[in-house]
Amino acid sequence: MAIRRGFMPGCSLPSYSPANISKTIGFLQDVYPELSVVQKCCGKPTKALGQVDLLKARFGSLVQDIKHCEIDEIIVACQNCLNMLKESDEFQTVSLWERLPELGLPRELRGKAAQSDVVFSIHDSCPVRDTKGIHDGIRWTLAELGYKTVEPAQTRDRTRCCGFGGMIVPANPDLAKRVMDRRVKDMPTEHIVVYCAACRSSMLMGGGKAWHILDLLWGPVVTQASQPPENVLASPVKAWLNRYKSKAVINRTIT
Amino acid sequence: MSVQFTGKVLTIATEIANNCQGLEAPFCQAECPMHTDAMGYVQLIREGKFDAAVQKIREKLFLPGTLGRICAHPCEKVCRREAEYGQSISIAALKRYAADKADREELWDTTFGHATGKTVAIVGSGPAGAQAAIDLRKEGHRVTIFERLPVLGGMLRVGIPAYRLPHAVLDFEYGYLDKLGVEIRRGVEVGKDIAIAHLREQYDAVILAHGAHIGMMPRVNGSDVAGITNAVEFLREIAFKRQSNVLGENVIVIGGGDVAMDCARSALRGGAKQVRLICLEKECDLPASKHEQESAAAEGVLFTFGWCVDDFLSTDGRVSGIRMKNCLAVIDETGRFNPRLGGDTHELQCDTVIFATGQRVADIADGMLKQTSGGRYLVDKDTLATDVPGVFVAGDAAGSTIAIEAMALGRKSAISVSRYLQGIGLTEGRNFALENSYKSKFEVPLPPDVVDLKRHHPNIMPAERRIQTFDECDLGLDDTTAFKEASRCLECECKDCMTECLMLNDFTHCPGELFSVFLAKGSIEAIVPYSCNMCNQCTLVCPKEYKLADAFAGMRKDFVKANKGKSPIKGHGAIDIHQRLSFSRAFTIRRKGRK
Ligand SMILES: Cc1cc2nc3c(=O)[nH]c(=O)nc-3n(C[C@H](O)[C@H](O)[C@H](O)COP(=O)(O)OP(=O)(O)OC[C@H]3O[C@@H](n4cnc5c(N)ncnc54)[C@H](O)[C@@H]3O)c2cc1C
Repeated sequence: MAIRRGFMPGCSLPSYSPANISKTIGFLQDVYPELSVVQKCCGKPTKALGQVDLLKARFGSLVQDIKHCEIDEIIVACQNCLNMLKESDEFQTVSLWERLPELGLPRELRGKAAQSDVVFSIHDSCPVRDTKGIHDGIRWTLAELGYKTVEPAQTRDRTRCCGFGGMIVPANPDLAKRVMDRRVKDMPTEHIVVYCAACRSSMLMGGGKAWHILDLLWGPVVTQASQPPENVLASPVKAWLNRYKSKAVINRTIT
Repeated sequence: MSVQFTGKVLTIATEIANNCQGLEAPFCQAECPMHTDAMGYVQLIREGKFDAAVQKIREKLFLPGTLGRICAHPCEKVCRREAEYGQSISIAALKRYAADKADREELWDTTFGHATGKTVAIVGSGPAGAQAAIDLRKEGHRVTIFERLPVLGGMLRVGIPAYRLPHAVLDFEYGYLDKLGVEIRRGVEVGKDIAIAHLREQYDAVILAHGAHIGMMPRVNGSDVAGITNAVEFLREIAFKRQSNVLGENVIVIGGGDVAMDCARSALRGGAKQVRLICLEKECDLPASKHEQESAAAEGVLFTFGWCVDDFLSTDGRVSGIRMKNCLAVIDETGRFNPRLGGDTHELQCDTVIFATGQRVADIADGMLKQTSGGRYLVDKDTLATDVPGVFVAGDAAGSTIAIEAMALGRKSAISVSRYLQGIGLTEGRNFALENSYKSKFEVPLPPDVVDLKRHHPNIMPAERRIQTFDECDLGLDDTTAFKEASRCLECECKDCMTECLMLNDFTHCPGELFSVFLAKGSIEAIVPYSCNMCNQCTLVCPKEYKLADAFAGMRKDFVKANKGKSPIKGHGAIDIHQRLSFSRAFTIRRKGRK
């Protein structure tokens, strides 16, 4: 029997950009016509707060959803979801960023940014500090698109937290801000590329100009003249509205 | 909210509290009996912050220039550059450099506590007595030093020759005692002019710090003639007059230690034509420091190794030579000093003999206190208390042999006296290990880019010029050399996580401290574990790879358990709502792909 694939965008990405969700699903469906999609939280914030019992129930409900869709291999766009699912060992789990090089980019996207005058500094997500395949996948994708990139001193397995980790923003906002500021200072260039919507929000709060890799993939070519998309996650109303829209996108596209 | 912390948290916390390298003092600082922050002032010297360097030294030592010149520097023996490459940092020379460059009275901390109404008598103004006086005065007690001599400083002033330690340096630094209001009564010999029993009645406590000032001379036939003296008498005379009445032209110094070197080199400066040092030991076993031996040799001192004086020859009531026997072994099978002599004999001519064969502690207590070997008083080694309540002993009289140890014992006696005066038990809750030299457990791998760099030495006056005067021979480090030397410091401290993590710096000096306090109190502010980003950057740089995030995550669970399933942090109410929505039907969806 053929392996059945599923896609899990996580929380921050659907809250950030329904458009990116839509395009990513479309891309995956071209390769995996049987693709299922689950939009739910993995419970990482619950875990971070230390709520053991609640976490068990919540994560359990996610597992139910994935099972319901009869997914054998789940492709995830969020680094925390990835780790949570890998730790549970319930399903084959792979990061979208590792999968991209295996699938290859659509022809029309290859080299699309070759003329861009921007040099992106790459910020790796700290929960996947030890997952080299993800770092490589991100760099491969950027190279395929034609963007020039540079690495900060603390990169890949030495990467630093963006400031969002551990749910410290609501607990100790002043400290979180200092961590964000520092991470932005680590970046050798003004333009930053990330692969986590929460990291992107942090980079913006720290005074940086940050794009999500899916913005670069599906959006217009970024040049010195471009401004980064607004910090949607900073506005709960917009973020929840987007999350709802993403749900609607999924509802529409998977039939 | 009372939180019960679970096994896992306690296990990690205990491991970190016990072994975090951030709590370990650098080797030099642990080894120094006074625990001077050598690494700290060496760094400041490198940064050109000389006033700050002097102040850092003065936090522990009131004699920066003096100790920079004559300290036996046990710190240098354990310096990591010594262990790794056999070339320690010139710590003492750098201390002197900073003192010469920047020390002045404005930098001195001359504050002291409110008057307590208690009085303490201290016998002797050597480093031990002076240190005890300073510490007690700082606490507000009234302190009086009784000093037999007209000058202050003990053996630093009347033992160590001026060419190693100029009197002006010592006198200037001893000025600190005046600034603090320590009363000093010179020319009073305790035991003769005033009895200990009397001091005991008049003062609330007494510290004996009168050093070891009896020059020992082994019994040798024919020694009751003129021209024979001992190191203590000879060097004291030299200290006052730069001359000695006993000194002739052809001098023999007996002894193989640094004191013998001081005698030999002083004799040359005092006008002797020939100075020969005779000792029991073979050259390779010489107790004197290499540096002293080489300096003496360069100045023309002759050495006769492996001989023992057996007899004196004399003419007209003055010594005219010595007869010696060869020495086969200095130490016997049981490891004791017990020279075994052979059958060879040899005669040497001389007109002066100086014995530098050890110093004894005089009994000034009229038998009131028990004495042990070398005349040292029998004391409790932890508290320096004697059998007589209120009477304590410090310095060489209690067993030290170098100045910095004498100071540490001075400090120890002051701690005891202070407790005694306040009616606190002498041992209660006291960490004796820290009052003494101890071994640092620092064990962080050398950074990969460290290389062996050669040790820099101070400028030394040429030997021919040196022996003309009692001027200081060591001219010190120049600016460039001092900078280079200070830059060699390997900075044996572990601050890697503190450099990496912003959060830790808001709450502690190092994880070891944080978790020690947590374990001691059995509690922690919730904001501490809830401020951890869980990014593991600390673990990444920690030489022990401690997982602080795991400890904090464990604490969070325990907080939640104690708080009815909720985070104790106010702002986390928002996360609660956020999570509820993230699992709610309104915002979740599962869509099964087509078959
Ligand atoms: C020749 C020589 C060279 C040395 N060189 C070094 C060196 O290079 N580096 C180093 O670290 N150490 C050196 N030492 C050792 C160091 O000097 C001593 O360890 C240190 O001085 C001891 O300090 P203290 O306070 O116990 O006694 P001391 O320094 O001996 O001071 C005792 C004081 O008590 C006074 N006193 C004695 N009896 C009475 C009394 N009855 N009434 C009143 N006052 C009295 C004395 O006059 C003296 O001032 C040297 C010692 C000697 C003898």
